[in-house]
Amino acid sequence: MRLAIRAEWTKLRTVRSTGWLVLALVGGTVATGALATYSVDTSLCATARSCDEDTVRLSLLGTYLGQVAVVVLAALTVTTEYETRLIRLTLTADPRRMRVLAAKAAVVTAIVLAAAAVSVLGSLAAARGILPGNGFTAANGYPPLSLADGPTARAYGGTVLYFGLIGLLSLGVGVAVRHTAAALSIVLSVLFVAPIAAVFLADSRARDLVLTYSPMTAGLAIQATRRLGELPIGPWSGLGVLAGYAAGAMLLGAVVFAVRDA
Amino acid sequence: MTARDGFVQILRGEWTKFRSVRSTAWCVLLGAGLMVLLSALVAAGSTTDANDEPAEPIIADQFHFVHQPMVGDGTLVARVSSQQDTGPWARAGIMIKQSTQPRSRYAAVMVTPGHGVRLQADFTTDLAGSATKAPRWLRLTRAGNVITGYEGDGTTWTEVGSVTLDTLPRTAEVGLFVTSPSTAERVVRRAGGTSVGPDWRLGTATFDNVSLAPASGARPGTWRNDDVGGPVQQVDGTPLAGSATEAGGTFTVRGAGDIAAQPPSPGGDNDTVRDALSGIYIGLIAIVTLGVLFATSEYKTGLIRSTFAASPRRGRVLVAKALVLGVSTFATGLVASLAAFLVAQPIQRGNGFRPPAYPTASLSDGPVLRAVVGSALVLAVLALIGLGLGTILHRSAGSITIVIALVVVPSIVGSLLPIRVETWIQRLTPLAGLAIQQTRTDRFDTYIAPWAGFGVLCAYAAVVLGAAFWLLRRRDA
Repeated sequence: MRLAIRAEWTKLRTVRSTGWLVLALVGGTVATGALATYSVDTSLCATARSCDEDTVRLSLLGTYLGQVAVVVLAALTVTTEYETRLIRLTLTADPRRMRVLAAKAAVVTAIVLAAAAVSVLGSLAAARGILPGNGFTAANGYPPLSLADGPTARAYGGTVLYFGLIGLLSLGVGVAVRHTAAALSIVLSVLFVAPIAAVFLADSRARDLVLTYSPMTAGLAIQATRRLGELPIGPWSGLGVLAGYAAGAMLLGAVVFAVRDA
Repeated sequence: MTARDGFVQILRGEWTKFRSVRSTAWCVLLGAGLMVLLSALVAAGSTTDANDEPAEPIIADQFHFVHQPMVGDGTLVARVSSQQDTGPWARAGIMIKQSTQPRSRYAAVMVTPGHGVRLQADFTTDLAGSATKAPRWLRLTRAGNVITGYEGDGTTWTEVGSVTLDTLPRTAEVGLFVTSPSTAERVVRRAGGTSVGPDWRLGTATFDNVSLAPASGARPGTWRNDDVGGPVQQVDGTPLAGSATEAGGTFTVRGAGDIAAQPPSPGGDNDTVRDALSGIYIGLIAIVTLGVLFATSEYKTGLIRSTFAASPRRGRVLVAKALVLGVSTFATGLVASLAAFLVAQPIQRGNGFRPPAYPTASLSDGPVLRAVVGSALVLAVLALIGLGLGTILHRSAGSITIVIALVVVPSIVGSLLPIRVETWIQRLTPLAGLAIQQTRTDRFDTYIAPWAGFGVLCAYAAVVLGAAFWLLRRRDA
């Protein structure tokens, strides 16, 4: 297994796209989060207190962009092997396919989690610098964001896990369809259909149903720290729904990988 | 062989390549299918009770009232020394009212910033006085059930009008009032939901020379003050309470609200045509993929070298590709948007979106036709952006990611940010092109005019295709 992991690690780190995608993940997440945070201030509300802005979630809005890089990174680790036919060599060197898949999953998850941790900490640092200037001060009921606060730590830590699960979801679909464009098109459609539908759905029951059972919106419930009662699904159960999708995709990928010729 | 024959040949070659690839069929089916599916889902998940609202007018009765009871006949005089201009119909004046209960009977004479002096009664009577603003003297007399309002400059009085309130009790509340109707909308976003409502602002007015003279000769009592109809609430639930202070005979009164019978709203607020075409947000992912693959798959398989060997004028190859892709994605998009419109409309009608609040949208209406055909145009232009990016980057992953990052991500992030921020996101990103789906211009989310938005999208396409054209001629294949 160690050899398999080392092989996968070598393949991933020596491809130029990996570096770009990690950069896009960190940069996209932090920059979007910082811009979003910068664009919201308490003067838009009747009173600073009545804003009741979820500043933690606001600071993590970059997740919407960052996850696209994760989807691409994870899918590419398998689809490029199929497109360059390297996969045959890989499986000749190590015929135990489940071990190859497990090694891929481990390496992708490790890279994504590490990059996600950096992104999330960067978003936190940016928000701490920006929020007080926009009126979100302790005097107005917004103490500085801190990981010592339970819900805040859950939101930031959970976002790292969210990125990891998105990586596994994309990896599973990539193994199953073996084609970069197809995998990206499918994963991105599945992820983004719900939040877009939510913008248009006028019926709150239908909207809650969509938000509860679709991978992105359920998973991102982990970022909420205010008005938790209004959420259609709780933070951890939401992340659980996403984990279910990721597990389903990995299972599908594993079955296809085991059964179909490379 | 003439140059024109050469181009037709290139065009035919590109068309053959385009239609004989399996991924084309997948992208077309997935794009059109998902678009119709999401549109149907949105229609099924949106209901309205716009047609169930009562036909009679809604009576608004919210203001700040500095009042005391007066038994029997009498006269109230006050001078409005100043009034803040918070809208043409902001009101400051004196009133006699059955009680402090909202919707009870009243008569009042008042000044307004935009409509001069008025005498209003029982929500529907509205008599115009002179076109003067504050400062102005006002006088209200009760004689039995007849209330007469006067205005003056301090020396002479002019009658504004008189009204009969036949069931006014012997003891009625009299006093000073200030109110200010909202003149703007406030949009609040919370937990993914958007609420739209009036944006209330307190209006301020000052009064002096206040004197109450009951005909009975009784001494006037003390003034009390209340928000009649409760303080107005902003759409986020924050109450906005009025206030009144008195110093040396000058009253400063602040209040917000409206005193009027509002006609029932003529129709619902939803743009049903745009909602019926909302599936485009997902359909475009597959269509963009189609455009990207049309360029990148040739690079991946090395076919591009044969293509350029056969027709060395590379610019023409790109033009031919753009033509084939643009026409076929427009056709696909047109079928998909027509299907989405036709599938969603009956579902919407079943969910309450029907006349009179929602007149049936017909393809013979200009804006509706523009929205349906425009959706197909947007899909075609996005496919061309995909083709351009694929030609520049040679990689499908990067090209698809960039389009998603420019179109899909901003639409979601924008919907979670304040409206002021979303406005600029919707104007500056390629998302602006989707403004072509608007059929109503009175909604809070009309960020940019339909064709102007489409122009923004086309500008992106022109830049990307221009760069692709230039690079294609300079670089090795």
